[in-house]
Amino acid sequence: MSPTSAPSKDQDGGAALPSQNRRGRAAGRRPFVRFLVRRIVTALLLALGITLVTFILTNLVPGDPAAANLGQRAIGDPAIVAQWRADHGLDKPLPQQYLIHLSGVLHGDFGQSQQSHRPVADDLAEFVPATLELAGAAILISLVLGVAFGVVAALRRDRLSDHILRVTSLFGISVPTFWLALVAFYVFFYRLQITPGSGRIDPGMTAPPHVTGLYTIDAALSGQWDVFASAAAHLITPALVLALYTIGLLTRFTRSAVLEVLGQDYVRAARAKGLPARVILFRYVLRSALVPVITVAGLAFGSLLSGTVLVEAIFAWPGIGQYAYKSATSLDLPAVMGVGLVVGVVYLVINLIVDVLYGVIDPRVRIS
Amino acid sequence: MALRSRRRQATTALLPVLLTGALALAACSSGGSSGTTAQSGASKTLVIDTSFDLKTADPGRTYEPTGLIVGKATYDTLLTFEGADVTKPVPALAESYELSSDGTTLTLKLRQGATFADGSPVTADDVLFSLTRVRDMKGTPSFLLDGVDVAKTDDSTITLTSKTPNPALPYILPNPALGILNSKVAKEHGATADPNDKAEQYLNSASAGSGPYTIESFNVSSQVVLKANAKYWGAKKPTYDKVVIRNVESATQKLNVQRGDSQVALNLSGDQVTGMTGGLQVKRTTSAYVFFLLANQDTGVSKVTSNPKFVEALRKGIDYAGLLELAGEGSTQAAGIIPSMFLGALPADQATTRDVEGAKAALAESGVTDPTVKLEYPSELTVNGLSFQPLAERIQANLKEVGITVEITPAPVTTALDNYRNGKEELGLWYWGPDFPDPSNYLSFLPGKLVGLRAGWKAGSDKELESAGDKAAAAVTDDARKQAYTDVQTKLNASGPFIPLIQPGQNIVTAGSVTGLEYHPVWTINVADLGAK
Repeated sequence: MSPTSAPSKDQDGGAALPSQNRRGRAAGRRPFVRFLVRRIVTALLLALGITLVTFILTNLVPGDPAAANLGQRAIGDPAIVAQWRADHGLDKPLPQQYLIHLSGVLHGDFGQSQQSHRPVADDLAEFVPATLELAGAAILISLVLGVAFGVVAALRRDRLSDHILRVTSLFGISVPTFWLALVAFYVFFYRLQITPGSGRIDPGMTAPPHVTGLYTIDAALSGQWDVFASAAAHLITPALVLALYTIGLLTRFTRSAVLEVLGQDYVRAARAKGLPARVILFRYVLRSALVPVITVAGLAFGSLLSGTVLVEAIFAWPGIGQYAYKSATSLDLPAVMGVGLVVGVVYLVINLIVDVLYGVIDPRVRIS
Repeated sequence: MALRSRRRQATTALLPVLLTGALALAACSSGGSSGTTAQSGASKTLVIDTSFDLKTADPGRTYEPTGLIVGKATYDTLLTFEGADVTKPVPALAESYELSSDGTTLTLKLRQGATFADGSPVTADDVLFSLTRVRDMKGTPSFLLDGVDVAKTDDSTITLTSKTPNPALPYILPNPALGILNSKVAKEHGATADPNDKAEQYLNSASAGSGPYTIESFNVSSQVVLKANAKYWGAKKPTYDKVVIRNVESATQKLNVQRGDSQVALNLSGDQVTGMTGGLQVKRTTSAYVFFLLANQDTGVSKVTSNPKFVEALRKGIDYAGLLELAGEGSTQAAGIIPSMFLGALPADQATTRDVEGAKAALAESGVTDPTVKLEYPSELTVNGLSFQPLAERIQANLKEVGITVEITPAPVTTALDNYRNGKEELGLWYWGPDFPDPSNYLSFLPGKLVGLRAGWKAGSDKELESAGDKAAAAVTDDARKQAYTDVQTKLNASGPFIPLIQPGQNIVTAGSVTGLEYHPVWTINVADLGAK
């Protein structure tokens, strides 16, 4: 794992950071590439590991997929059960099933879902964008609000606004997401009637032409502004609910990181030099303070994805959360494995991005 | 200086916050207005919220409640039921039917002039292909036509022949799984009347039926959109231009229908519908689901539950009225295993009542002292908003008073089903939903049959009951069947390993503007019956 609080080690004073920055960039062009390649190779190996783990875990689950998917009557007919098993490749030995699964995955074929009877890849292509839109909006909101609140709280330390933000962030961290989702739905949709109901767009509307699968972007691209408004309106409450936890988390981390950096000598020196407050904040303070914040944001994205299962259920959001839940309860193994792989890969990608961002923000990381 | 600059920093940092807030407000206000215009537009849209239990839109593979709603709206069957009355099949694509006096041959005259959504006529060949396909494809509903021979006598006559009397057939034919496909279209997309059929993917994207609605879009986990079939052949044209069936969890269903975002909510529990206001209509009916307790008769599984006197103690020890309280309004006690609205159901006054002293006496007679038995049930399954947990706990408490210790062992449904279907449960708490609204469906509870075996009840265990079952299966006229099935249930209640408990209520909430809603035991609701005020 990469260092999380780089600024605290930085004892050389104000001038150290820019000079070290230059030195690091000159010496580290090749190492950075090597670092990136190493990370990507590790990620690929991990992805392979994920396929094995998801495969083994899903097949270890007690319960018979045939029993879960066939009706009361059909299960009594051996011919139907045999037909069903053969259709879904369950009549072959496990290692062979894994190899078939793996070679399929490499060709972009995740097998056929037992519940939707469509290729899992098609299902994922349909549900992943919905979740990405929701989780993406949530992480965007959390980064903007979380960092902003954290900075404000740090700059106005021990004043009223600081106290309010700290209490609010504590609330955000401690409130269970599903409860908040229900309450938000009740208050904003039912009581105040300012937000629309379940789903991604109004039931009377047709989805915008498929480009990215994100309704807001697709609608904007095709210039259907009424669909865009409906999609954005449907997105805002679930995204805020989902974001609240991360906002709270980021506020607290940013606040403490900013406070720590504010006390550093180089910041004092910069202030003494008479640099404008904005330059000090964005160039000197935020850059150092963001390192731990990015670590937390990366991890938080993971919890966001698991939070979507509940939020999607309450807002009837057709994403992978609902798909995963439904697949798990009907023992739809190919679908469960597909979801497991996608979530695993999303984690890997986020971690990769976080690692690379370290390199961008903190040059010392590239060398290690 | 320091103070001022800090304040400016704060303002700069707040800028993105303000921006996000403004965006959120803009989105909210525009969303609010667009939400209402969708409802009041020129085209009529009906939104139905339900917790999805949906796998396919291919009628030949459909067997789940949500799938049956979709199937009923998009495909016509040979016979159907009028409203909620399941005691008498009425003509649909067939204009008349006749069952031979020995009960083995059903002759159906096809209606002339019925057309598919693409305008082509419904022919005897379409019927022949569709029914053979369901039977031979080995999909979930194949058993509906097990051992039934389908033949086309002439262009307007279809004959269904069974080896043994099959008086249930007219009650089976209305099942949406037996919807008639446009065979030409289906074959073009891979439909065959054998297990190699490949038409499902096509049928999940477009319907090929003659029903009042067609499929506009179909998704098993989020929503199904139906649109009116402009060329519908029937006398009653569809009222709504578009019907959206959404997968919504029940707490959200309630808020949606109260706010007017949806017009029909299908899965609200008794508690959720009490005190509903705002011009909403609440339809409370008894569902056809029967909850029952099974006591395993296999001595290898349990020496205790296989003791007939112990089963008697169970039967007398349960507080049925207490279970009804848990189940809420609309629920009724199940007098026998056949639901109250079917032909041959036992009258309510023959239902078992609690008798603690009698239960204690039976337990003493059984010779079993201080018995401890395991009660298994599916933990996360709910039937019309009623979960198994409180019922199991109540049964546990009831039996404690009698002197029977019950260990409740819940498991996820997929795991619990394994033990249940393999007949390994000592005591089991389950429910049975009818495959078709005919009492013959419940012969499965007899020794050596599907559910009987799940209670470890092998063929030959109860000769008298089995011969009563055979007699019921062979009876053809309504009166004879009614008598025979009442007899089977009386015997089953006296000596069988099944204890019928309750039929939960079915609560459907609709907006004041929706008319014509009836709860149906097979397809829940018929979308085409819904009108608008």
